[in-house]
Amino acid sequence: MKLLLPFHLHKVGAGFPSPATDYVEDDIDLNAHIIKNIPSTFLIRVQGKSMNNIGIHDGDLLVVDKSLNPKNFSTVIANVNEELVVKSFIKEKDQSYLASGSIKLKDKINLAENPEIIIWGVVTYVIHALQ
Amino acid sequence: MLYNKNKIALVDCNSFYVSCERLFNPSIAKKPVIVLSNNDGCVISRSAEAKILGIKMGEPYFKVKSIVKKNDVKIFSSNYSLYGDISRRVMKTLKQFSSEIEIYSIDEAFLNLSSIKHENLLGYGNLIRKTVLKWTGIPTSIGIARTKTLSKAANHIAKKDLSGVISLINEKKIEEILKQIKINDVWGVGKKLTNFYIKNHINTAYDLRNISANWIKKNTNVLGSRTAMELQGIPCISLDSHDVKRKNCCVSRSFGTKVTKLEELKESITTHCLNAAEKIRNDNQTTKKITVFIRTSPFQKKKYYYANAKNIDFPIRTNDSIELIKQALIGLKYIYKKGYRYQKSGIILSDLKDIAVYKKNLFSEILNEEKRASLMKAIDHTNFKYGRNALSIAQAGLKKKWNIKKQHSSKINMGCFELLPSVRIS
Repeated sequence: MKLLLPFHLHKVGAGFPSPATDYVEDDIDLNAHIIKNIPSTFLIRVQGKSMNNIGIHDGDLLVVDKSLNPKNFSTVIANVNEELVVKSFIKEKDQSYLASGSIKLKDKINLAENPEIIIWGVVTYVIHALQ
Repeated sequence: MLYNKNKIALVDCNSFYVSCERLFNPSIAKKPVIVLSNNDGCVISRSAEAKILGIKMGEPYFKVKSIVKKNDVKIFSSNYSLYGDISRRVMKTLKQFSSEIEIYSIDEAFLNLSSIKHENLLGYGNLIRKTVLKWTGIPTSIGIARTKTLSKAANHIAKKDLSGVISLINEKKIEEILKQIKINDVWGVGKKLTNFYIKNHINTAYDLRNISANWIKKNTNVLGSRTAMELQGIPCISLDSHDVKRKNCCVSRSFGTKVTKLEELKESITTHCLNAAEKIRNDNQTTKKITVFIRTSPFQKKKYYYANAKNIDFPIRTNDSIELIKQALIGLKYIYKKGYRYQKSGIILSDLKDIAVYKKNLFSEILNEEKRASLMKAIDHTNFKYGRNALSIAQAGLKKKWNIKKQHSSKINMGCFELLPSVRIS
């Protein structure tokens, strides 16, 4: 993965040189900004429905960090019924739950009651194309 | 016995290729899984469940097909770009646990843990395993000992132990554990040496450790002595943590369907040359010699079997794709025989050296060396930007009929936006 965007451009030409030239530092590195822990961060594609309430849509790219532990309302990837799925992680009164996009109470899965469910990683960014 | 303060850990990924396939596919987490070599030829990685079924390492796929069918074993074609990516993640994770690490293979690394206190070693080993598992999803086993050979032995035991970490730093336990290790499982003991040792009643690592130094010296070579000493806890093989540049570069592939025509062999050899040339240019190296080889399937009956190779020296060191291809094709014509069904072709570039090492040649001007160098640069740059083989050489062929079979590939490629792993929203 490599992506460098020029942070500052200065045209060379006749006339007075731009006083800003000396302040050109480095290119912005979008990877460094988005990926905090390289070995544990994965790019994963979303397939199927959308989770409109958290802003995840079909075809989006998720930046997932496996090294993180989920906090209340973290969006996570979990291994549910032998499949990797996107869920919301919710903490309530010392209990942890997984909820789907709709956040209906009955859809909530109590993690203590379903020990086979494993949190695979925590979603840190969503990359969504607007055009 | 000499005392030394070294503490060396060997971290080895469990069923590495299978573990990589399982990472994004939890549905096969508990099922028997095998990964096949290039061209779906042989079994090269087995899950614990597959091992129990009696599937052996290196066995040709057609021999295990009935077991696979009967037990619903999940099979995968090897996906090296995925395994390479996960391997880099594992190694990067390991690097934070030791300043001195030797990446020994795609799924193993030696770590110098000499600075860790004796009583904390097992805990530290567990922390390494836990972190690698959480960060990369890959399970590992760890063996810790005074020498590399002993840490390999410890790892062998750790693989079968539930704890996953075995330390042989405590002297008392060593002998007892070495008795469990068969001589052919000792690091550095190959097939020939195994037969020789067994003839002489050396059946375990323990036997080899306690053999007299004189006997070893008399009857084996320096490598034999080294292994015996290492088993006694005397370090003879140091940790190689420097990035050593390769001395050889081999690119070879098995064909998807058997190839008979010279034209198609030419295409494959040309493609191999392009790949190898790009690799060594990337490392700023040049080569002095190229070896071209072709062979039919080794499982063929004798009269249909043919294998041959040809070495060609370059007049001057080079990393120029066109130069490599020219010589390789001359070599190929030399060894090609009509009437055989070829299964594999490849090239080896040897005697690689840094570009800085060789001086400008008297004939450089005549050969247009600089112009060529900038052409190669342009090719590499374009291919980096637009993907492998965006810019190639017509000889490499466009259809590539001979390309390898990958019927069961998971097709995940972390270096390609179109082939990233996916998740569902439910």
